[in-house]
Amino acid sequence: MERLLPVDDDLDTGGFFAAARRGELVVRRCAGCDALLHLPRAYCHTCGSWEGRWSPVVGTGTLHSWTVVEHQVHPAYPVPYTVVLVELHDVAARFVGHLPGRHDLRPGQPMQVWFEELDDGAVLPQWAPA
Amino acid sequence: MSAEPELHHRDRCAIVGIGETDYSRRSGRSDLTLATQAALAAIDDAGLTPADIDGIVRCDMDAVRPNDLAHTLGLRDLTYWSEVGPGGVAPCAMVGQAVGAILSGQARAVLVFRELNGRSGRRYGLAPGAADERRVGGSGTYDELFAPYGMLTPGQIFAVMARRHMIEFGTTSEQLAHIALACRARANANPRAQMHDRPLSMDDYLAARTIADPLRLFDFCLETDGACAVVVTSVERARDLRRPPALIRAVAQGSIPDPQPGIQFPVLMRESITELPAKSVAATLYRRAGLGPADVDVAQVYDCFTITVLLQLEDWGFCKKGEGGPFVAAGEIDLGGRIPINTGGGHLSEGYIHGMNHVVEGVRQIRGTSTSQVPGAEVCLVTSTPLPPGSGLLLRAA
Repeated sequence: MERLLPVDDDLDTGGFFAAARRGELVVRRCAGCDALLHLPRAYCHTCGSWEGRWSPVVGTGTLHSWTVVEHQVHPAYPVPYTVVLVELHDVAARFVGHLPGRHDLRPGQPMQVWFEELDDGAVLPQWAPA
Repeated sequence: MSAEPELHHRDRCAIVGIGETDYSRRSGRSDLTLATQAALAAIDDAGLTPADIDGIVRCDMDAVRPNDLAHTLGLRDLTYWSEVGPGGVAPCAMVGQAVGAILSGQARAVLVFRELNGRSGRRYGLAPGAADERRVGGSGTYDELFAPYGMLTPGQIFAVMARRHMIEFGTTSEQLAHIALACRARANANPRAQMHDRPLSMDDYLAARTIADPLRLFDFCLETDGACAVVVTSVERARDLRRPPALIRAVAQGSIPDPQPGIQFPVLMRESITELPAKSVAATLYRRAGLGPADVDVAQVYDCFTITVLLQLEDWGFCKKGEGGPFVAAGEIDLGGRIPINTGGGHLSEGYIHGMNHVVEGVRQIRGTSTSQVPGAEVCLVTSTPLPPGSGLLLRAA
């Protein structure tokens, strides 16, 4: 069975997936005061602006935490697999990534983004040990 | 009455009736039947009849609506209904809704219920969405940023939080085990508990299969078919009823700055993932009650997972941040410890009624009728503080 695809045209988060299709990792920022809007949303409660922009980030981070899933709950996600939680180097934002199998991981280790093309044109930013 | 509005409800309402069904893996009964059975039991326990009930509060994830239950019970004039969510944060806040309805004159006796066929029907431990659905998320769920990566269940979220607690504070699996073992020991004394006949040892815990590392099988709660209900009324009316009232000393709901949207996965984006909104619920509840953690004799702590309890013991002030592991390993949550918890067995070993069986067991402690009664218990804390914003309740003997 094939992996789950993200809804990648949502009004608030679609820009994240559009950037991923171009090979860019982005976070949402307020165009008025530059506040980080993560997870992405339209309104900035810091300055009241409705104007936002997608801001490229460097695509490196550190491993904040992870889990190795050993009990299968979905036919498209065979176990074991690892879900990593990565904290970006240049911005106070986190993303999750998927690693098939078990890995020898340690907290704080460097992680690097890569872009996984799924069928149907969707692209997922993914994370692997640097 | 105090001049402080938030203190107006202190000790002015009480839980006067409790009811529950059996807890099983396959009830063989409809959602409406489960809710009706628990409701009838609670109303009878109070010494009331359905005709006395004029308010109903439900959980947003319940399959039964107020009018379903009102019709089935034969309520003559439902003047108030309400619902709280999401999910497990509801139960204490549901009691709070009942208090608000009574003190504002919108109802006189309010039924608060939760039912689910949580094992034979919809299982919360499975991935969200329909099995044949390939494209996930959108519409404010933010699932599109998590589910495609295989982040699919609450247990996987809490596994990531548990790993982080281990990284920051050196917490161990053996320490988490003490929470599972304490709940199991209470269930072994409780004939209603699903795990009544199933002892659990440290060896059993450590030998069990891993579900989502670092969490093992017995770090996970049960999935249960069943229902619980309570009846809330004014303290004046409570005096004339069948049972000694469990006074609602105070109730609170609470969130945190930047709680993140959605129901579950986005909490991994919070500044701290080793803290829950329990911390702010605790501050509000203790202030409203004029009590602190040192005054609490026994606690029913929301336990979808062992780690959820560990985080809350710290957030509710029973031990310092990061010291939950040594605290539970020292036996402080056992009978005779600093704060005995989940005296019916909790979600981990009695049954999973989404936080509502914790309210029922809290009332038993105040009545002195628990199967693991804490001698002389006068103040019981009940928590409904898992992932999203939460709620809490302090019950007191009259």
